[in-house]
Amino acid sequence: MTRHKHLLVFAVASVVAISAAGAVSSASAADSGTHTPVTITVFNWGQGGDQYWADANKAFEAKYPWITVKAESVPFEQYLQQEGAYINSKSGPDVMANNVGLELFERKTAYLPINDRLTPDITGQLTTYKWGCENFDTTQPCYGLPQSFQGNVMYYNVKVLQAAGLDPQNPPATWDAFNAACDKIKATGKACIAMGTGSTVAYWDYPEIARNYLDEQGIVDQFKGKIPWTDPRMVNILKRLAEMADKGWFQDSASTIPMLPDGGDVFTSGNAGFIASIVSDVFNWKQWGDAIGNDNLGVMPWPVIDANAPLAHKFSGVEGFVHGVTSWSQHPDEAFLYVAWLAGADNANLFLQEAGGQPINKAFNASLITNSPSFTKIQTLIKDPTLHAGVLLSGKEADALSRGYQQIMLKQITVDQWVQQMQAALVASPEKKP
Amino acid sequence: MAVARPPPSPPRIEVRPATRSPRLNLLRTGRRTDDQRSWWGLLYLLPALGLVLPFKFVPLVSGFVDSLWHLVDVGGAGQFVGFGNYARMVGDPEVVAAFANVGRVVLTLPVWVVSPLLVAFLIHQRTPGWRLFRAVYFLPYMIAPVIVGSIFREILGTSGPLNILLRSVGLGWFAQAWLGGINTALLAVVGVSLWSFFGLGVITYLAGLASLDESVLEAAALDGAGFWRTLLSIVLPMLRPVVSYWAVLCLGGMFIWMFPLLFSLTQGGPGYATMLPEYLVYLTAFQFNDRGYATAIGIVLFAVVSLASFWIVREMYASSVARERA
Repeated sequence: MTRHKHLLVFAVASVVAISAAGAVSSASAADSGTHTPVTITVFNWGQGGDQYWADANKAFEAKYPWITVKAESVPFEQYLQQEGAYINSKSGPDVMANNVGLELFERKTAYLPINDRLTPDITGQLTTYKWGCENFDTTQPCYGLPQSFQGNVMYYNVKVLQAAGLDPQNPPATWDAFNAACDKIKATGKACIAMGTGSTVAYWDYPEIARNYLDEQGIVDQFKGKIPWTDPRMVNILKRLAEMADKGWFQDSASTIPMLPDGGDVFTSGNAGFIASIVSDVFNWKQWGDAIGNDNLGVMPWPVIDANAPLAHKFSGVEGFVHGVTSWSQHPDEAFLYVAWLAGADNANLFLQEAGGQPINKAFNASLITNSPSFTKIQTLIKDPTLHAGVLLSGKEADALSRGYQQIMLKQITVDQWVQQMQAALVASPEKKP
Repeated sequence: MAVARPPPSPPRIEVRPATRSPRLNLLRTGRRTDDQRSWWGLLYLLPALGLVLPFKFVPLVSGFVDSLWHLVDVGGAGQFVGFGNYARMVGDPEVVAAFANVGRVVLTLPVWVVSPLLVAFLIHQRTPGWRLFRAVYFLPYMIAPVIVGSIFREILGTSGPLNILLRSVGLGWFAQAWLGGINTALLAVVGVSLWSFFGLGVITYLAGLASLDESVLEAAALDGAGFWRTLLSIVLPMLRPVVSYWAVLCLGGMFIWMFPLLFSLTQGGPGYATMLPEYLVYLTAFQFNDRGYATAIGIVLFAVVSLASFWIVREMYASSVARERA
């Protein structure tokens, strides 16, 4: 019996000791204070590259040690569909991303409004954050914070232009001059513009043509569904897009390859003089410069069609993507800390240097990039932004624009038929009922 | 003098009918009654029902309910529209194009059914190299369809290996944008699908051929029946259940298994040339966020597939019953 008592005492003492050890270890694992360890899942399309996100998440976790970030990403061409599955099931990541404009607003119920969490310390650092807010009004519900400033430019291969007898320091600035330059480039056996199919037509090409036919009020009216696609202004936009295909500015495979990544490959392989893409995140100065050499890469605004158009010389600039807190998140506080950190100064230079991003935070230091003349020039181009018409297209319109443009490239439909398809898409867009 | 009494009547023994208790019957004979067979059958079905009901039937009913609503705001209450989504489909050129395209795909069903049978019969006949062919034909089925699509997107490109080959052998006039033509795009998708699933058909038919009575085939050979006569007059009738099974599988695949290839090859383009209903459901639900309408398209797709499959299976059952009675 004595032996049994000794065993019992030993067992009880062991349990007490183990419990005490566990309590001490959990207390030391938590931050000072009362933070409980939390894991948040962040879902995006890996814009800027895996290495950037790995470093960014590491930096965030160092600042907020009780929060662990679990990153999840798919290529953008699949992102909206995967995100849709999460939205429909009302479960999944704590943080998601969307491009501003209708892409975000069509999915706004997936996000928590963050207005009550925004402080002057957070918003004062940003050039703007209104595009993530309803009606672009920061007094109305805002669904996320931006990290990047985005817009469209044309990059060019200096050597290809030189081989065509063009001056890379003075690239063609007007539509007619660009047409002449294309003829010279095609004469060397290269394509004028590297092109492919997909949603990039709606976001990278359409806005640059639209600036010549719509003023800011027109862009807003089109966003609200007040301008039909049969309007002469919209018809002219589609005609100019079709003209690019009709004049043979693209390589032969343009109609059957996706812009991402195959269209980009045409440019990086030196088989095209120009490529129309964006300034931040991906398919930008960093990616093209890494591929063909920073000194071999030039950048310019899209050629002007109507020099007298109010927006002809402006930059279609907009907040790039925003990250927001999902409406089903079990950890909204921690998720918002992550969203705010992404938009903050700590991340700005990291985003610039590692991701080739164009930070929207005012604290970023452009002089950190010394080896890219294109990046330096972009800092000048983005100084005079205007509304970005592409992000104000509905999902149906963007899809119809992309499909129709492929059919135009294949000469399967006329511009008039394309107009009808676009008008049908507008009518079928519930968010655009005037 | 005492009168002899008749002997007492033997005790009355009630003879029961010669039926045993079910338990006794089972113990003594090992055979169940009809009622017992019914209960046991239901018991064996329960696990399958346990999977089918929550993962098939409940979503189907829930989907039908969703199809009666106009659901565009995720999380929002939506608006009840009754059969409005179904009425909308009738005049929707995208839906019409999608179902017309799948109808064109179904027209190629004979190729899907017959070509694997031909190859399987050749392998079964021990054609030289049959072991190699048996393995090689199944390899494509082992590759994930989305990978197959990515590979063929390069092969069928305007400047892809296929066109390069055609030009190199003097057939440059035949080289074209296989994935870009209104007619060639859908054929290209069907061709890639057939390439991908061909091996499964061969294996299915080989399994069926292995179950045939070899003496029948030997007798046919002795009677002088050639390859085609044997195949058409002897093998095909005997393999009818397998053919029906494979036909149902192919039909279902045409309606609901083409998605990975569409996603990686054409995304329904050019325009709507390769748009199929399953891909349209996906786009409508997740890209256009029009969930009620997407569900309605899905319900109609389900109805079409069910009717087609039911008809083929009924024909298969009717023919097998007729054979048994004969």
